[in-house]
Amino acid sequence: MKPVIEVQNLSRWYGNVLGLSDVTLQIEPGITGLLGPNGAGKSTFLKLITGQIKPNIGSVRISGQKVRNNYALFKTLGICPEQDSFYDELTGWQFLTGLLSLYHLSESEISAKANKALDIVELMPDKDRVIRSYSRGMRQRIKVAQAIAHEPEILILDEPLNGLDPLSRRKIIRLIKSYKQEGKTIIVSSHVLPEIEAMTKKIILIHQGKIFAQGDIHYIRDLIETHPHIISIKCSRPRELVSKFIHHDFVLKVNFIPDDDSLLVETNNRDKFFGLLPSLFVENNIEVFEITSPDDNLQAVFDYLIGK
Amino acid sequence: MTIKEKGYTHWDGEFLNKKLSWLPITRYGIKLTFRKKFFKLLFFLALTPAVLFLAGIYVAERMEDFKFMISEGEMPDFLNIDPAYFKAYFTNDYMLFMMVMLLVFCGAGLISDDLKFNSLQLYFSRPITKRDYFLGKASVIVFFLLIVTLLPGLVFILMKLVFSASFEFLSAYPLLPFSVIGYSLLVTIFFSFYGLFLSSVNKNRRYVAILIFGLYIFSDVLYGIFYGIFRDEYFALLSIKENLKQAGAFLFDQKLPHDTPWFLSFVIIVGFCVLGAYVLKKKIRGVEVVK
Amino acid sequence: MTQNNVGKLKHLWNSVWDVFRFFFPLGRRARKSKVFYLISFLPVILAGIFKFSQIFAGHTRFEGIYIFTNMIMGFYLQFLILILALFYGTSVCSEELEAKTLTYLTTRPVPKAAIILGKYAAYTTLVTLMVVFGLVFSFLILNVNDLLNFSLYKILFRNMAVLVLGLICYTAFFTMIGTFLKRSIMFGLIFSFGWENVIQYFPGSTQRFAIVHYLKSLLPTVQASEGFAFLLFRLEPTPPALAVLILFLITAVFLTLACVIFSWQEYILQD
Repeated sequence: MKPVIEVQNLSRWYGNVLGLSDVTLQIEPGITGLLGPNGAGKSTFLKLITGQIKPNIGSVRISGQKVRNNYALFKTLGICPEQDSFYDELTGWQFLTGLLSLYHLSESEISAKANKALDIVELMPDKDRVIRSYSRGMRQRIKVAQAIAHEPEILILDEPLNGLDPLSRRKIIRLIKSYKQEGKTIIVSSHVLPEIEAMTKKIILIHQGKIFAQGDIHYIRDLIETHPHIISIKCSRPRELVSKFIHHDFVLKVNFIPDDDSLLVETNNRDKFFGLLPSLFVENNIEVFEITSPDDNLQAVFDYLIGK
Repeated sequence: MTIKEKGYTHWDGEFLNKKLSWLPITRYGIKLTFRKKFFKLLFFLALTPAVLFLAGIYVAERMEDFKFMISEGEMPDFLNIDPAYFKAYFTNDYMLFMMVMLLVFCGAGLISDDLKFNSLQLYFSRPITKRDYFLGKASVIVFFLLIVTLLPGLVFILMKLVFSASFEFLSAYPLLPFSVIGYSLLVTIFFSFYGLFLSSVNKNRRYVAILIFGLYIFSDVLYGIFYGIFRDEYFALLSIKENLKQAGAFLFDQKLPHDTPWFLSFVIIVGFCVLGAYVLKKKIRGVEVVK
Repeated sequence: MTQNNVGKLKHLWNSVWDVFRFFFPLGRRARKSKVFYLISFLPVILAGIFKFSQIFAGHTRFEGIYIFTNMIMGFYLQFLILILALFYGTSVCSEELEAKTLTYLTTRPVPKAAIILGKYAAYTTLVTLMVVFGLVFSFLILNVNDLLNFSLYKILFRNMAVLVLGLICYTAFFTMIGTFLKRSIMFGLIFSFGWENVIQYFPGSTQRFAIVHYLKSLLPTVQASEGFAFLLFRLEPTPPALAVLILFLITAVFLTLACVIFSWQEYILQD
C-alpha cells in the first residue's frame, strides 16, 4: 500500500530540549496508534506533520506534498488538537459552521455537513448551547466534530478520548473504526494503551523523542525474543500440571498463586508451550478455567522497550 | 455550616497561628515579575527620576563648584532642597505614569491569571485565608511601588543629611520624613487596590492591562474636557492623577494645585480603595464545602 | 498577471471574506466588546451633559461645533481610537495564542495571510462602527439647534474620515506588533501614550515619525485656545493629500509585514 504520510529524518528541539529525534517512517491508510507517555514527543510529531511547527532537520510529506504553509492540503486533513480550547462564546453549531465556512462551501453544504458531524458525535440536542456551558466530554466531542465535519481523507487525533466517559469513548472508538472501513488514514495519539489496543493493531511507540518500535503489536511482541512470555493458567490441579512440563528447557520459571489456584509460567517459546498444553490437560484430566497472556499487550511491550 | 475559602472538608480545628503565611505568594509574584522580559528595563526607567533628583541634591550641596553652569550665580529655584523638591519628585507626571506602567506589568495578571487557570481552588485548599491571598497579591505591587517611592524618598533625606553633614535639614523640616512615608503609603495602597480590583474583573490579562492604563488616562482626559468647558476646578476630582497630586501637595504642605478642599481628594482615593476591597471580596471565593 | 496568480488572488480574497464573516459577529458579541461599546458611547454622554448645561444652566461659552471639533475629536484622537486600535489590533494574533484556538485557523485551507487580513478587516470594521456611531450621535446632540446648517456636516464627515483613517492605520500597526511581540500591549501603550504624545513636541521632521502627525495634518489648524492646549502641539502639517497617501502606505506596509511574519513565524501554544 502506498504510504500517505512520509517522514524523513525528522528532528525538532525546543532550545536545549529535544522534542523529536531523527524519526523516519511511513504511515499507510488505516488506523495508526501513536503511543507514548506524557512528554514523549507525540504532540511534537503531530504538530510537525500538520505543519504547525517547522522541523529543525528532515522533511514531512503528505500525499507527496510538502506540509508547511501548504494550506490547500488542509482540505483533505482533519485535525483534533489536544488543547481544550474553543471560541467559548459560540454555540456548538456556530463553531462548526463557522469553521466549515472556511472551506468555501455553500450554505446548504455547510448545514448538511455540520448536521452530520453533530449527529455522529451525538451533540444535536446541544448544538444551540454555548460551548462555555458544555461538559468536558461534550467539549471533546465538538472538537472531534470539527475535525470530521468536512469529511477529510486523513484524520489526525491528538488524545481524542481525553475526558470522555466510557460510553462516549466507545462511541468515538467506533467512529474511528468506521473511518478505517472507508479507506481513510487515521492517526490517533494516546498514552492510554488499552484504548489504542481497542482501535488498532498498528502502532508506533515513541519515548523521549525517539521511535522505539513500529508495526503490528503482536509482531513487535514476537520480535522481542530475548524477553520471555508470561502465561497465566487457572486450573483445577496446578501443581500436578506443572510437574508434567517443568522438565522442558523452554519453561524458564513458574510462580504459584495460592489463593487463586493459578500459576504464572515464564517461557521463551510461547508456540511450543501452547502446543504442549492441550495434550497435558486431556491426558491428565485437568480442568482448565482460564489461560491468558498478561504481557501480550501493549503495556508490557512498552514497559520492556523503554527499559522499565 | 458552609465553609468558604477552604478546599478541604470537615475541618473543625483552628489554624496554627502562622505569621506571614501570605509571604510565599508575594515572593513568587515578585520572582515571576522579574522573569518577564523588558521588566528590568521598565524598572530602570522608573528609577531614572530618583537618580536625577539624587543628582540634584548633590549639585545643590556643591553649588560652589557648579556656579559656572548658571549665569546669575544664584541657586535656581528647582534646586532648593525643601518639601517642594520632594513633592516635585513624587507627583510629577512621569513618575505617576511609570507607576501605572509598573502596575500594568506586575499587577495585571495577579488575579486575572488565577481566574483564567482556575487556580483559586489551589490557593484555598491550603490553610490560607482570603486575607492572606489578598495581602500576598497586594504585596507584590506594594514591593515594586515602594521601591520607586518610599525608598528614594528616604534615600534623598539620608543623602541630604550626609552631604550637608548636619541635621539642619531635618530640624528645618521635621515632618518631611512623615510626609514621605505618608504619601508613599497612600499612593502605593491606592494603586494596589486599583490594580487588584481591575485584575479581578476579567480573566484576560491583556484586557486588564488596557483597563488599568485606559482608566487612568481616561480620568485625566475627562477632567481636561470638563475643565475646558466649564472652567470649574472641582472637575479635577474626576482625575486619578490630579487627586494624587492634590493629596501629595497637602501631605508635603505645599500650595494645592487645585482650588478644591484637600479632604475631597482623600475621600475619593479612600473611597476607591473601599470600592475595590468590596468588589474583590465579592469576586474571590474559594471552594464552598457544605457539611 | 497569469491565470494562476489571478486564481490565487481570487482565492485569497474569498478566504479573507470567509474569515471576516466568522470573526465580525464573534467580535461584536464578545463580552469584552461591551465595555468598549460603553466607552465609545461616553462622548455622546459628554455631549449630552454639555448641551444640557448649555440649555438649562446657560453655559454658552462655546458653540456646539467648537466642542465637537476640539473636545470630542480630542477625546477620540488622543485616547479612544488608540485604545480601541491597540486592543483589537493586538487581538488579531494574540487572542488566538492566549486562547489556544490558533490551530483551528491554521489547519483550514485558507492562506495564513487571509487569517490576518480577514480578522483585521473584521475588527477594524467593528471599531469603526463603534467610533462612527458615537461621533455621529454626539455631533447631532451638540448641534441640535443647527441641524439644518449643512456646512456643519462637512466638518462631521471630515472628522469622521480622519478618525476612520486613524483606526485603519493604528490597527494595522498593532496587528503587526501582535504577530511577533509577546508583550504587545505594553509596547502599544508606550507607543500610543508615550511616543505619539512626546514626539509631537519636537519640531521639524521628527514629528513625521508619528502617525498622529498625519492625522492632525488633515484637520484644520486651530488657534491655540484656553483649556484645549493639551490637544495642540507644535504642528508643522504635511499637505493633506500626501498625509492620506502616507497613511495608506503605512497601513499597507504594516499589514504586509503582519502577513509575512504570521506566515513564517512558529507559534508554540503553551500547554
